Amino acid sequence: MAARSLAIVRWIGVSLALVFAIWLYARPARKTDATSLRRYPNRISVRFWHMWSAEWKDVVDRIVDRFNKSQDKYEVIALSVPGGADAKFLLGAMGGDPPDVMAQWNPVIPTWAEGGMLLPFEDIMSPQERAQFERESYPIVKRVGQYKGKTYGFPIGLQVKGVFYMPQAFKEAGIKEFPKTWEELVSVSERLTKRDKEGNIVRLGFMPGSWTETAPLFGGDFYDFKQGTLTLDNPKNLACLENLVAIRKRDGYDAVSRFQSSLNSSSYAGGWPFIVGAFAADVDGPWRVEQISKYAPTLDYATALVPPPKGGTPGAGLGSGNFMIIPRSARQKAGAWAFIKFWSGLEDPEVAAEFYVWGGWLPPSDAVARAPIYQDYMRKHPQFRTFVEAISSPNIRAQPPVAYQVFVNDAITKLEDQALRGEISPGQAVSQLRTKVDQEVLRRKRLGYDE
Amino acid sequence: MTTKTRRDLVGLGFISPWLIGFIAFTAWPFLRSIQLSFTRYDIVRPPKWVGVSNYQSLFTNDEVFRNSAWITLKFAAISVPLMIVAGVTLALLLNANIRGIAFYRTVFFLPSIVPTVASTAIFMWILNPQIGLVNGLLSKIGITGPGWLNDPKWALWSLMFMGLWGVGNSMVIYLAGLKDIPIYLYEAAIVDGASPVKRLYKITLPMLTPVIFFNLVMGVISALQYFTQAYIMTNGGPADSTRFYALYLFDRAWRYADMGYASAMAWILFVAIMLLTAALFGTQKRWVHYGG
Repeated sequence: MAARSLAIVRWIGVSLALVFAIWLYARPARKTDATSLRRYPNRISVRFWHMWSAEWKDVVDRIVDRFNKSQDKYEVIALSVPGGADAKFLLGAMGGDPPDVMAQWNPVIPTWAEGGMLLPFEDIMSPQERAQFERESYPIVKRVGQYKGKTYGFPIGLQVKGVFYMPQAFKEAGIKEFPKTWEELVSVSERLTKRDKEGNIVRLGFMPGSWTETAPLFGGDFYDFKQGTLTLDNPKNLACLENLVAIRKRDGYDAVSRFQSSLNSSSYAGGWPFIVGAFAADVDGPWRVEQISKYAPTLDYATALVPPPKGGTPGAGLGSGNFMIIPRSARQKAGAWAFIKFWSGLEDPEVAAEFYVWGGWLPPSDAVARAPIYQDYMRKHPQFRTFVEAISSPNIRAQPPVAYQVFVNDAITKLEDQALRGEISPGQAVSQLRTKVDQEVLRRKRLGYDE
Repeated sequence: MTTKTRRDLVGLGFISPWLIGFIAFTAWPFLRSIQLSFTRYDIVRPPKWVGVSNYQSLFTNDEVFRNSAWITLKFAAISVPLMIVAGVTLALLLNANIRGIAFYRTVFFLPSIVPTVASTAIFMWILNPQIGLVNGLLSKIGITGPGWLNDPKWALWSLMFMGLWGVGNSMVIYLAGLKDIPIYLYEAAIVDGASPVKRLYKITLPMLTPVIFFNLVMGVISALQYFTQAYIMTNGGPADSTRFYALYLFDRAWRYADMGYASAMAWILFVAIMLLTAALFGTQKRWVHYGG
């Protein structure tokens, strides 16, 4: 009798263990987790992922808060995913549970669009909204965030680089005004560089932008939008890289590399090398203006467009952006679109202008830039005007919108780095770039990809 | 149902949480990746069968694959023996019967329990060429230190050097091995007049070979999968000099959304690890002594 009772107890134990194991793995996500965080539980939730953190996350949270207060249908729930966001998005999309909308700036849009995981905005915009978007957006907007003629990334902010410089440092070196040409800037930068007694650089005269950012000034480009083909070995690209390598050679391959490694690479706070005086002139983006006003409000600095070389293209540069993407499998596409319109200013440019002021961001359209609050910001920070002027230039280029864009960017960065270290010549870099990308295209063709 | 069957079922029932987890999250993905390695798979669209194209491209058309495999093998070939020598030496030193030995053992073991990411971040500063501790000390004696992580010639060596920081882990295993050597062997050797060096080569090291063999196998497996430190410190650079196999596999899978290709790479790595481990097991008869 006792043995039988023991057997029954054992079987009950085993059954409970099995049930527990199955429940542990198969249980649905607890709904209370999501609802307990919600301020408006009766509204339709719109899940929004972004990659901003620290000070930028606060700005995003304020925008989300403003949207939630502006209407009574949706509640946007923001989640900051600063690390591994792309992989997490892919897993979400694969599992059929992606966010409803995501802010993205990595060069993944063509790849994801080709994979069919993104919704083209043409499918969700009304004809009026589309016309307004076409009419008011800066020219570069029609090139970024696109794949095969469709908009998969809706720009909520644009980026273009300019020169931040220290007028006092220029004055001390006997340079009265900011150089008008690239050659002049490169030439005077030598006088602006300071070294310690061991020859280590303590202040670099001029830190140029990357190859892709600088090539348009030389008339170069990495993609022909009319033909729809890569133009990696454009002779102007080579001329640009030769120039960048010559500057690095003059300053010292090893010396610059050591100097760079000693700098704070954080882009989030007041440790930006320009703020601490590591560069007399540095190429960087418009958001730095807001950072300077927060972390070094007394800093004496000015901004200028990067000057072109003689015979080059004025007002040229590489434009990119922060985009909103909507996964095809998103549950709340309409809510996502309402949020995007609110943020980008498509709904009301004057309301949105304040968001761009909070972040010190370039808006996607002139309508936002014309708003009084934005004009006030530019009056308060005249250095910002440089970037607003730059973004409206027709000579701003975009990254190649090919499905293997990440691969192309990686290859460009690696070969540029090798050339700037003096390990290979600029000519070899360009030819190896062509070969590497051709090999990748061949590999993709063999696997049956469209591109 | 027999008593044995019933007992087995009870056992299985109680380990079922682990079993289900293993089948769902390890065994199934493991087997599924074989199939995926013969497909074009970008995660979102269903996998498309492409035969051996992934393997063919890897062996014939992918310079980065060859380079990353070579870097990983080079790293394993140098860092694993280095770790064994350092671990055994440290264990021998910390096996001495001196005052405060427990404290010393703790000091040398401590680094191995520091999270990898934290120690990696510290080493980025220690190895900084311009303001780092190592080059600062070298400059005191008139030496201009190299670029360490910034110089393609030094970056791989820097990671190997940094690996020594975590030697405490294997040191503890060697120490346990040393404690396991019967004392009468040393007593007999001393009676026979064997010098300390002779005792080391004739007793200590041979008796320690099973532990050395264990650490060798585990070290090779771990070195071939080396990822975290390179991902954080160099991300494959400079000039691809630290692009380890696992790092390239990760890029292919998650940055280029090329899961089929990455699965093929994973299987090549798996086969390589199996072959190397089998080869190591094949050699153990010649140098591993299990007598004791």
